[in-house]
Order: sequence, then structure tokens, then C-alpha cells
Amino acid sequence: MKRTIKNESGLHAPTKTILEQERKVLLDLGNDITKVREKNDLITLFKNRIKGLFYFTHTIITLIDHKDETYYAFLLDNEGSPIRTHPRYREMVAARFSLNAPFIQAVLTSDEPVSYILEDIMDKPQSPPFLRVNYEGGVREILMTKLMKEGKPMGFIHMYSDRTDSFNPEFRGVMKGIAPQLSGAVSNIIKNEELLNKEKEKSFLLDFSSNIAAVRTKEDLMSAVRTALHKLDQKSGFVIRCINEDKTTMSAYVYDLGSAADEKSLSVLVKAKYPINDGLQNRVLNSSIPLLFNVEREIQRGITSAYLQYWKKMGFENFVGIRLRNGETNLGILLLDIEEIKIELLQGICAQISIALANIMANEQISKKQEEQAFLLDFSSALTKMRTKDELQAAIFEVLDKIMNTQLAMIRVLEDDGVHLSVFMFDRRLFGKAHADFDKLAANKIKIDETYTAQVLASKEGVVFNVDEELRSGNDYAKLWKTTGLRNMYGLPLRMGDKIIGTIWLLADFLGPLLLKGICSQITVAVANILANEKLLAYKKQLEIENDYLKEQIKTIYNFSEIIGSGESMQEVYRLMGLVAESSTTVLILGETGTGKELIARAIHNASPRKENLMVKVNCAALPANLIESELFGHERGAFTGATDRRIGKFEMADNSTLFLDEIGELPLEAQAKLLRVIQERELERVGGKQVIKINVRLVAATNRNLEEEVKAGRFRADLYFRLNVFPIILPPLRDRLEDIEALTHFFVKKYSRSTGRTIRKIAPRVIQQLRSYTWPGNVRELEHLIERSILLATDSTLSDVFIPRNADADKQEQAFLLNRSLEEVERGYIIETLKRCGGKISGTGSAAEVLQIPGNTLHSKMKKLGITKSDYFS
Amino acid sequence: MKIVVIGGTGLIGTKVVNQLRQAGHQVIAASPATGINTLTGEGLAEAMKETDIVIDLANSPSFEDKAVMEFFQTAGHNLLAAEINAGVKHHVALSIVGVDIMQNIGYMRAKKVQEELIEQSGVPYTIVRSTQFLEFIAGIANQATDGNEVHLSDVLFQPIASDDVAKFVAKYALAAPLNGRVEIAGPERFEMYKIVERYLQLANDPRTVVPNGKPAYFGGEVTHSALVPAGEAEQGAINFESWWATQAVKA
Ligand SMILES: NC(=O)c1ccc[n+]([C@@H]2O[C@H](COP(=O)([O-])OP(=O)(O)OC[C@H]3O[C@@H](n4cnc5c(N)ncnc54)[C@H](OP(=O)(O)O)[C@@H]3O)[C@@H](O)[C@H]2O)c1
Repeated sequence: MKRTIKNESGLHAPTKTILEQERKVLLDLGNDITKVREKNDLITLFKNRIKGLFYFTHTIITLIDHKDETYYAFLLDNEGSPIRTHPRYREMVAARFSLNAPFIQAVLTSDEPVSYILEDIMDKPQSPPFLRVNYEGGVREILMTKLMKEGKPMGFIHMYSDRTDSFNPEFRGVMKGIAPQLSGAVSNIIKNEELLNKEKEKSFLLDFSSNIAAVRTKEDLMSAVRTALHKLDQKSGFVIRCINEDKTTMSAYVYDLGSAADEKSLSVLVKAKYPINDGLQNRVLNSSIPLLFNVEREIQRGITSAYLQYWKKMGFENFVGIRLRNGETNLGILLLDIEEIKIELLQGICAQISIALANIMANEQISKKQEEQAFLLDFSSALTKMRTKDELQAAIFEVLDKIMNTQLAMIRVLEDDGVHLSVFMFDRRLFGKAHADFDKLAANKIKIDETYTAQVLASKEGVVFNVDEELRSGNDYAKLWKTTGLRNMYGLPLRMGDKIIGTIWLLADFLGPLLLKGICSQITVAVANILANEKLLAYKKQLEIENDYLKEQIKTIYNFSEIIGSGESMQEVYRLMGLVAESSTTVLILGETGTGKELIARAIHNASPRKENLMVKVNCAALPANLIESELFGHERGAFTGATDRRIGKFEMADNSTLFLDEIGELPLEAQAKLLRVIQERELERVGGKQVIKINVRLVAATNRNLEEEVKAGRFRADLYFRLNVFPIILPPLRDRLEDIEALTHFFVKKYSRSTGRTIRKIAPRVIQQLRSYTWPGNVRELEHLIERSILLATDSTLSDVFIPRNADADKQEQAFLLNRSLEEVERGYIIETLKRCGGKISGTGSAAEVLQIPGNTLHSKMKKLGITKSDYFS
Repeated sequence: MKIVVIGGTGLIGTKVVNQLRQAGHQVIAASPATGINTLTGEGLAEAMKETDIVIDLANSPSFEDKAVMEFFQTAGHNLLAAEINAGVKHHVALSIVGVDIMQNIGYMRAKKVQEELIEQSGVPYTIVRSTQFLEFIAGIANQATDGNEVHLSDVLFQPIASDDVAKFVAKYALAAPLNGRVEIAGPERFEMYKIVERYLQLANDPRTVVPNGKPAYFGGEVTHSALVPAGEAEQGAINFESWWATQAVKA
């Protein structure tokens, strides 16, 4: 019970000694207090002053907290306290005791110090537990004096004694007297502490800011933050998470989870991307103040992000989350394993971290860009070396995997029809779980107006399809996409300039737009190259096949030895051919239609060292004027309207072989000029191309025109003529080699008997006679056709009749033939003809003289004059 | 139960804190003065630890339109975030009768935002909408004073004593969350100029009240019945005269 009896110091007139003692104590204490530096010095000084005058065991000071009406230990008597070994001592130091209890209310309402015998009060229901603890420590009595500040109670000074007679009126008087001084001292201590703390925080932040200013890398930041936290006595962990490029997730950026983290968990935590809106991270980002989280409560709340589970496993109970932002832009969050939030300090730290973070991220962005660019360069130079699809595929797979962390879903290319898109390349591994479905879908040729393709082709830089959204809208492809677990399908057009090459499809959660664009344009070029290469290869292949086939054909038909005719004029031709074949000399073959100019050309080629390659033939008369150039020299894709592909010209095809230019006389002047240039330079440029191509071609030209005449008439370039007319071979017309007619006839009969299946064993002498007496304006070709026709019309195994045309056309031709000759020539030719037809009989019945209606001797003298010998009409 | 009263040192706050303490609850009177600040977040998270009920009775130090909006927005946002994190089970706030029909007044817009933040927070809540406090009559007179005249309209007015407000607030705080609003008002309805006239008379204030027929509240035009409950409202026990009697005693 409160001992009011002892509370009478104020009622009695104080004795002189008491007053003096009191004054001395006050004076000394006043002096002491100015010396107080450490808060517990106050207790020590105060105790030492009082100790000499009065008896007590120890003393403490408690403070009131108005917000919850409690009081708690503030200054302790670390030497004198007898309860320091008591098991509940720590608890007492940390505890808050309610002001709403009779024990303390009595002190609050009294103007005098109040004492209690502990035994009387300590076990009352609302009495604070420290009473009993002190009792157990040997204390028997307590004297409570309240400390006031600005008219309000601010705390208490507790005096304890192990006797029950210590707190006499003098003692109480002194206590009451010095209470205001103590109050002042305590207030000062509190204020000093606050100031000191502020000072400490300020200098801490200053240090931190100079550390942060030196931060250049992630690692620097890590150690700066770690050092700072350790300085704040926060030995525990922290994580800085940054918002990822996709703007929808965050990942650990800098962290130190201390010893709590095991390697495995850590590697998972560090790599993971956590959705910003996971119900926790977004709360931190949306809060301008630090938030204190309880791990267990957040799990209970239903937040599923895995980090909470890991943290729980690591033993974290509470943590603080603060957003990191640069101006108005959220950069990420700082998560700290602490319990107490010093707002200003934390916000100071975070402001600094944010600046450093923004700088590092900007730096990283730049070096990442540089890296990306360097990479793209490497990639591009690697791609230029690729010639096959397999090489390209390997390169593409690698780049997508390494740089973009993704896999190729599909590259489709536009077919030549400009409508269909066929599969070019894909990464089967991507659809590991759904091979069959994928193969089914991939097998479909799709058209450019297919919904997704159309959207992609219409876009400039591609379209991102959200897999889930597409799934909801009933997209068949999306079902397949979903099997990969990736969030977005990126469809991009592959374009070369304005030309669409195809489309590329990539599945990923997120792809950086810039890099994607770069890689796609590289892939475009590579795909286009490969496609061109493939076409070229296919074309070459086809040519090779043709070549083999033709070679075969040529071997069977056109043998040097198969040129029939052993007459004098042909002997001369053979001689010339023999001379020229081995060399690379240009040969000009002249002769009427059907004289076998091509045959001769092939024979020359086959007799030359170039014979292993196919002779390439161009019929200059058969070429449309506007295509001659591209036919001869080739063109690049897009060189002119309709030039949809690159084309190799005949000259290039005849490289290391022979080019046979038939009907060279029909070549238009413009093309002649180009041809001349190629012949002179031995090199060419494709139409629309810039590259000069060296060629090694042997030229054989042929014409039935009189090129000299053509030159004179201005239809043929003189310079070209000279270039071509290096080694002319003139093929005689058939009518000038009647001696070969029989052999040729046998040859053709044999040839066509074989091909028609009719066996002609004999040729009637009359037939030979008939054939010899015809003028053959169509030359050997005419003879060949005639024999073919005649065999078909033959009724038995003897060719007894031929059907020499007697039509107006032939007459006209003959006439034209005749018209071109001098009288003497005509006369000579006619006499020879007639002699031949008459079997060489000059006079008498059925003789030439009879036919010519001149006397026999007149014919004789004319023959002599014209130099007609037996060999002219006998063969 | 542990209860935190934000604005626990204010007019209503002090009373609510006392009532709840007397009922044996552990109560924290939170205000910047006691180291808990909803604007800066200082002390907030610590105060919220293990807290069951939060009663928000704070008021903006400035009534200027922008400042008051910022106060209720930021304070509401921070307070609710801290409550969510601490798992607080009931949030009680004191709002104003007619708040949604007086949106032309800046202060009302801010209080409405405060209400909306609460409704959207996910924390179980009860919003108590009160009419003006009797203690507020002096303030109304002051803001309507022009020289020696007080210009006021006959807008309907049903002021409530702060003791009654505190009682109601404490009652609703301890009850289950309504996740809705209740209205409280004084037991008598007046025309505003008349009750102010009476108040000045009792207080021996020399100013004279001039009725102007223009229903207004703090400078903003309002409807004739904007300040009184439209429907059901709980009524306080203390009428004007008995309130005045206690005021006189205090003075
Ligand atoms: N006046 C009316 O007629 C009326 C009618 C209906 C509803 N209300 C509402 O009733 C509520 C209470 O009004 P009142 O008159 O009791 O208010 P008040 O007496 O002005 O008290 C305001 C309280 O808010 C505290 N406060 C200010 N800033 C703070 C901050 N940043 N963090 C934490 N606490 C802060 C103050 O603390 P300090 O003391 O430390 O500054 C004080 O305790 C208000 O919300 C008001 O809108 C009023």
C-alpha cells in the first residue's frame, strides 16, 4: 500500500540541514548534468551524489509513451541493480507497462513522491511485473517520483531499497526538489539522442552517396549496398529487383541473401522472372512509403510467387519492400530483411540506389546494344558465307538460341507464283510435345491471304500475337503454340527492299524489338541467297541432264564420220574443218539453207578439245528482238519487266565450250554491237548487272546470207563481219555435189528405215537418176525429208519412186536461183544439168543435144568453150 | 484488441481513444505528434503490427482544395497499404453526410476519394458519415463573417456533439465490419442561420446573423437539404442546449 504517512515532508517545516543538503545536491547535480555525455552517466552521477546522503540500492528512470499510455525503462542502473541476473530482467527492460493501473495512477495523481512496500502491492492484479522481479532480487521498498515536462508527466524516477525504512521525509524532499532538474536532463538526453541519430543518418547518407557515386557496375552497387546495410547493423539480406525489358516481370538484379541462401534456391531465385502484378511486387511499386511484409501472411493471402516459399524456407519472417524509381519511372524494388523501418534513412538510401541503378542500367543498355551490334555484324558475315540451307539453319538456330533465348517456329518462303508460302525451315525441337500436330499444320501450303500471314505481311515490323488471346479467339495454330508454354508468337515479314521473300515466326515470352529486326533482316538476305543458290543449282542440274542427253544424241547422230559425201567439194570442207577444229579460232560457216551448217558446227565442236562440254546453240533468227540481249548475256533479277529471276545467258553457258550462232545474219544491229564487244573483250555483263564475267567461248557462226552484201547494205557491222570471218567454211549446195547424192540417199534410207520400221533393201536406179536431175533448192535437208516421205509412201522393199516437188514454189525458187546467175553460168549449168539428166549422152536420141534442140557438134563446141568435162556431169 | 486510432490526438480521436481504453482495449493514439504519420509513413508499419482495428479520424492540416485532396489521397493510400500488409481486420473512417452531393466543394471531393480508396482496398470497413459537429458552429460563424455580420442561409443543419460522434465511432469500430456506410446526426434539425444566431447569443458574441437565402457551405453552393441525412440516420443523445451547458461548464 501507498504509504501516505511518509508523504509528509511538505507538511513539516524543513530543517536547516535538510535544506542545505538539498541545495548542495541540487547544485552538484546541476553541475553534473552539464557534464552528462552518455545517457547512463546521468544515473551514475545522480546515484553518486545521493548515495552519500541517503540509503538505497539502485535507481532507474522510465519514460511515458503517450500514444499508447505506457511507460518503459529508459535509463538503467547497470552497476547497482540487484535484478540483472534475474531471468526476467531482459523482458523487464523491453517491456511497456500500462499507465492505466492503480500503482502508477497514484503516482501520476500525487504531487509528492510516492513509496510502496513491495510486498503490499506487487501481487495486485494490475501491478506491473517489475515489482515482483525486484522483490525477488531482494528489494523491499520503492519510491516513485514523477518527472514533468511542459505541465505533462513525461516519466518517473524509481528508487529501490532492500530495507523498508530508507525513504524518509528528507529523502523525499530531495527527490521532489531535484525532479525538475532531472526532467530537464532527461529531455536534453532525448533531444541529444535525436540529434545524434539525425547526425548519424546524415553522415551515413553522405558516405553512402559518395560510395554510390563511384558505382559503375552491378557488382559495385552490390558491395556499396551491402557495406551500407552492414553499417546500419543490418547483417541480413537484401534483393534489388529490376523491371525487365518486357515491362511485365521483375528479376533479381543485385542481391545478397547472406548465409540463409543455399546455392540451389539462390540460382532459381536469381534467374526467375516474377510477374510485376503478382499481388506483392505491384504493392511495393504502388506505394510511396516502405511496406513491411510478413512472409507467412502473404502466402496465406494467396500470393503464389515462388520467392515467398523460398524465403520461408530460408527462415525469413518479415521483410520491407520499397520501390526504386527515377523521377516518375519505376525501376524496380528493394527488398530488405529488416523489421524496423527508418523511413527517412531508407528513402535516402533508395533515392541513391535508384540513381545508381538508372546509370548502370543505361550503361548496360548501351553495352548491350554494342554487343548486339557486334553480334549482328558477326552473324551477318557468317551468313554471307552460307551456301546451303543446312549451314543457314545451324546458324539461325544458334543465333536465336544464344541471343534471343528462343527457337525458330517457322520460316516460310513465298513461291514463284507470288501466292503460296511453303515451309522453308523450322525447329522441330520447339514442338517436342506436339510433333504430329505440327507436322500436319506445317504440311499445309498457305496463301498470302491467310489471316495471320496477311496481318504479318501487311505490317511493317511484324505482329505480336498473344498466345492466350489467340487461343480464346479460336485460332487453330494457337493450340500448337500453347504447347510450348511460351507467351507470344512473333510473326515478321521477310522483305528485301519491297519484295516479300516470306515470313518468320518465333515463339517467346518477350523479344527485344531492335535486335529482332536486325536478325530478321540478316536472315532475309541469307534466305534470299540460299533460294537463289538453290534455283541456280536446280537450273544447273537440269542443264547437266540436258547436256548428257544431248551429248548422247549428238554422239548417235552427229559423228564427224557421219557427214556424208566424199565428193571433191566436201573433201575441201573436211580439210578446212580438220585444220581449224583443234584451235579456238572463230569459224564462219556459209552455205544455203539445208546444207548442214549446224552439222558442220557440231563436227567442229566434237573434234575440238571442248568436246566434253555441250555446244550451245543460238538461232539468231528465232529470237524476239527484245530478248536477244538477255538470251545471249543473261540478266539479273528485276533487270526489266518480267525478269523475275536471274538468268544465265548462252555465252555464260558456253563457257569453256562452243557457242554456235546460227543465222548470224539475222542479228539486229544493236545486238551486233554487244556481240562484238564480247568477242573483243572476252568478257560480259549480265543485263542489269554490274559484275563483269570472264568467259572462254569458242564461236562458230553460220549464215545463208551473203554477209559481204549485208555489210554493204549497212545491215551488218563490218567490224563484226571481220571478227567472224576469220576462218570461213563454205558449204557447197547439194546441186554442186551430185556425186554425193547416191551416198546421201542410202544413208537417209537406212536411217528412216530404222525409225519407221520399214525395210527398204533396194533403191531403183531410176530413183537415183531422178534425184540427181533435181536442183535441190533445199539442199541436203530437202533430200532427207524427201526420202523420209518416200519411205512412208513406198509399197514394198524397193524404193522405186520419189516425189520430187514440182510445185510453183519450187519453180519460183529455181527461178530465183537461176535469176542470180550470169548468162554463161546459166548456160553452163543448164548444159551440165541436161547432160546429167541424159546420163551423159551428148548426141543422138535421148541425148542432151536433142533436149537442147541444137546439133550434136554445136553442143560439143559449147562444152569445150564452157569447160564442161565428163566429171561435171558424171558422178 | 489492439486498436490504432489515426488522428487519435484530434477532437474526435481523443474521445474515441479514451472510450476504447476504458473498455480495456490496447489503443494507440496515432498522430505525427506521437510519431506516426500517414503522409510520410513514419512509424506506420510498426504501429500496425498485430493491430486488429484501425480507426481513421485524421484531418488535413490545410483545407485548401489541392492540399486537402493530396492529404486524404496519400494518407489513405499509405494507411490502407500498411493495413493490408499487417492484416488489419477492420478499418473505420469518419466521413460526412451528403459528401457525394456536394462534390462542387474541394473538401468533399477529397473525403469522397478517401471513401473510395477504402471501398476498393479490400480491407473490411465501416464508413461512418456524420453531420457537422456542434463544436464546429463557431467555425461556421467565423468563415461567414463579414465585419460584424454573419451571412448565412436557412440550409438545413443537424449538428451532432463530438461526444456522440465518438460513441458511435467506437461502437461501429467494435462491431463487425459493415463493408458499407452508416449515417449519424444530431437529435435536432435547424435552419443554419438560426442555430448560429442562438450560439452567438449564448456566447455573448456581438456579431449579428443576416439570413441571405443562399444555401452554401464553406463557400460552395449546396442544396437545401445537402447537410442532413436523406434517409435513416442514428441520432446522438446530446441536443444543442445540453451540449451548450457542458461547454459552459468547461469554460
Ligand atoms: N468537422 C466536421 O464537422 C466533420 C464532420 C464529419 C466528419 N468529419 C471528419 O472527422 C475527422 C476528424 O475530425 P476532427 O475535427 O476530429 O479533426 P482534428 O481535431 O483536426 O484532428 C485531426 C487529427 O489528425 C491528425 N493528423 C494530421 N495529419 C496527420 C498525419 N499526416 N498523420 C496522422 N495523423 C495526422 C492530427 O494529429 P496532430 O494533432 O498530431 O496534428 C489530429 O490528431 C476528419 O476526417 C473530418 O473530415 C468532420
